[in-house]
Amino acid sequence: MADHTIALAGNPNTGKSTVFNALTGGRQHVGNWPGKTVARKTGTLDHAGRRYAVVDLPGTYSLSAYSLEEIIARQHLVEERPDVVVVVVDAANLERNLYLTAQILEMRGGVVIALNMADAAAAKGLSIDVEALARRLGAPVVETTARSGRGIEALKAAIAGLVDEPLSATAEQAAPPATAPGVHIDYGTEVEAEIRSLAQALEAEPGLRAGRGARWLAVKLLEGDPDIAARLSGLAGGAAMIAAAAAAAERLRCALGEDADTLIADGRYTWIHAMVREVVQAPPIERVTLSDRIDAVVTHRLLGIPVFLLAMAAAFRITTDVSGPLLEWIAAVFDGPLANQATRLLERAGLGGTWFQGLVVDGALAGVGGVLVFVPVLLSLYFVLAVLEDSGYMARAAFVMDRLMQGIGLHGKSFLPMLVGFGCTVPAIYATRTMRTERDRILTGLLVPFMSCGARLPVYVLFAAVFFPRHGGSIVFAMYLIGIGTAVVLGALLNRSLFRAARSAPFVMELPPYRMPTARAVLAHMWVRTSGFIRRAGTIILVVSVVLWALTAIPAGDGTFGDTPVEDSLFAGVAGAATPLFAPLGFDSWQAAGALVTGLLAKEVVVATMAQVYGAEVADEPPADATPGLVEDARFVVTGLARALADTARAVPAIVGLRPFDGEAEETPSALKVAIHADFSRSSDGHPTLAGLAFMVFVLLYTPCMAAVAASRHEFGARWMWTSVLGQFAVAWLTALVVFQGGRLLAG
Amino acid sequence: MEPPSALTTVIETTLDLVPVGGRAAVVRVGGEKAVRLRLMEMGLVRGEQVRVQRAAPLGDPIALRVKGYDLALRRRDARAVVVRMTAGADAPDGTD
Repeated sequence: MADHTIALAGNPNTGKSTVFNALTGGRQHVGNWPGKTVARKTGTLDHAGRRYAVVDLPGTYSLSAYSLEEIIARQHLVEERPDVVVVVVDAANLERNLYLTAQILEMRGGVVIALNMADAAAAKGLSIDVEALARRLGAPVVETTARSGRGIEALKAAIAGLVDEPLSATAEQAAPPATAPGVHIDYGTEVEAEIRSLAQALEAEPGLRAGRGARWLAVKLLEGDPDIAARLSGLAGGAAMIAAAAAAAERLRCALGEDADTLIADGRYTWIHAMVREVVQAPPIERVTLSDRIDAVVTHRLLGIPVFLLAMAAAFRITTDVSGPLLEWIAAVFDGPLANQATRLLERAGLGGTWFQGLVVDGALAGVGGVLVFVPVLLSLYFVLAVLEDSGYMARAAFVMDRLMQGIGLHGKSFLPMLVGFGCTVPAIYATRTMRTERDRILTGLLVPFMSCGARLPVYVLFAAVFFPRHGGSIVFAMYLIGIGTAVVLGALLNRSLFRAARSAPFVMELPPYRMPTARAVLAHMWVRTSGFIRRAGTIILVVSVVLWALTAIPAGDGTFGDTPVEDSLFAGVAGAATPLFAPLGFDSWQAAGALVTGLLAKEVVVATMAQVYGAEVADEPPADATPGLVEDARFVVTGLARALADTARAVPAIVGLRPFDGEAEETPSALKVAIHADFSRSSDGHPTLAGLAFMVFVLLYTPCMAAVAASRHEFGARWMWTSVLGQFAVAWLTALVVFQGGRLLAG
Repeated sequence: MEPPSALTTVIETTLDLVPVGGRAAVVRVGGEKAVRLRLMEMGLVRGEQVRVQRAAPLGDPIALRVKGYDLALRRRDARAVVVRMTAGADAPDGTD
């Protein structure tokens, strides 16, 4: 149990995370703020015999109530009342950074300023009088360079120093923390007069229990803060206060010709500006920094887009090709040595050949394998994201692409998740984190699955070979285009309906200076996020794998549990029950339905399932007594890993080369093709090609695999996950319907 | 002959119309409350000097230098900011 609490606040791009990591060592926990999709980092700091619970608040430019991050940050400060607030400030960018600081200082005391990124300030030729700054702010200021660890010990000491000072009175409901505010900003005669009278009225109203926080409340009311107004309106005398504030604002507008919130924002910056002028010495002419020079190229009118395409191509290659060999190695290890050894262990325990073996090996083990297989992909994704974000390039990418994405109603940063989606939907969903607003994240997350992932490709290739033998390539390409087209149309629709209300936030984005990402930060980011995936999404995937295995193991009629052929299992029964759903689409066979159902587990499985249910595949499982020994399996694992790592390394140079899709089509037995053709002819009443096309379109658009759905739930919550799952099913069904029935009408 | 000061024009325009390389001073910020507040919090307050650094390859958004840092803004949102030009992209001789 912690002795004290610390909250870390600050603008984005100030190295706040680095300060957080430096304070908490490795001991941190990443989750989400309750009910929100904003990341929440907590950790512990042990210093001088005391334990502190540290919370990293979302990076915000201010504490107004108009963005999710700001609401979260402010709510935490007001409700949790941390003992110390550390505000991380970018020394190279002091004025704007101090806006948030000023708001926090107006609200409470117990604040330490970490003046971070001294190196960037030096590069700009700035020199800061730290003592004068501390005096003016009324709070201790500690110079830090978090990346190198400089100043961290001094910061810890300053925190401890604050905690030693006596903290004042107790909890109050509508008011900010009772620790006395640090500064008094002079907003000018008229405004101050109104603030004073409002504060007095607030203090006089017992029901509001404003106490020491009366002035802060008065300022907030005058600003017209919706959150404060909402809190007060429920209390006795609250409504009267809100009316009084509105009247005061009106008087000020008449007297000074400006809205009250403008006057107050102006007042803060005037105060800040005067302070910065006294405290910071800047060179007379702004230096052209390295960042400026890089930007001249990266956002250049002609070069900007090619640079962007190169960067995105590299990002894509890293997440798909580089992680590929390791992914396959993991899959092979689970399919081979691990499955073998598990089988042997169970045999020795006398459970060989039973349903329990099936449960462990084909259900649970396969499920675990299904989760771990994503680890290389996610590690590389988070590597890419960390490098892009920490270096500062991500903001430029958004800057360059925004105009294009605006047309779809998306944010410039949506491009990367969409692109990654062509490889695999799972990392694409996690990539939506880079966007700052929940609305952009969710909208992108809903559209990303329409970027046809790599696992769906074998289905197109197979069906194109069956129904369009001479135009295979074009048809496959058309599938990708249909996916993109659907996303664009859906995006436009969603924008006008579901997401219309959230449009008012302007696109206002800082272009931070370029920085070299630190290995430690990148690795920490990779590890924290990937382990989060394994823990949260992994459990769901595992559960579903076991359930699906159970469905195939439970006999629908006769037959023993765990030993039934697929066609007699409950799975076939369920698939059979689903088939009428597909009748209007032209493919109402239980085999097609069954393949689609297994596609919910993993799209790669669709083709394998078809082979199985159409009875066209030769079983390639070796008989039980040929199970390799432990030594052989161990050797398999090690040499496999070595080969995978070598392949990974070899894939790295290929990152820069742009290769067209390497659709790996396995040799499909012609028996399967014939079987599919025959079945589709029957189910579609003689329009096999149309049915085949409808099927392909359905596979393109329908609900992605379990892992992607689990990722969706992890990132966006259950409600949006279901919206996505059901919505995609509906979109797929309708589009396939249009294709099949519409095609039939056209064919006459 | 020196032009009388009464003829010196004060060019008031909106931020989205300032050419690349131009400098301007913020006169006031209009628009809806949420937008206005956000722009002011980012430093676009009355009297603030801004410089239009560049426009994105596709023309939108624009990058401004304000309070010593770079801010990207869509033209649609920049339209809410009324500014007074202090120097054009290529200030002709004698109009300082």
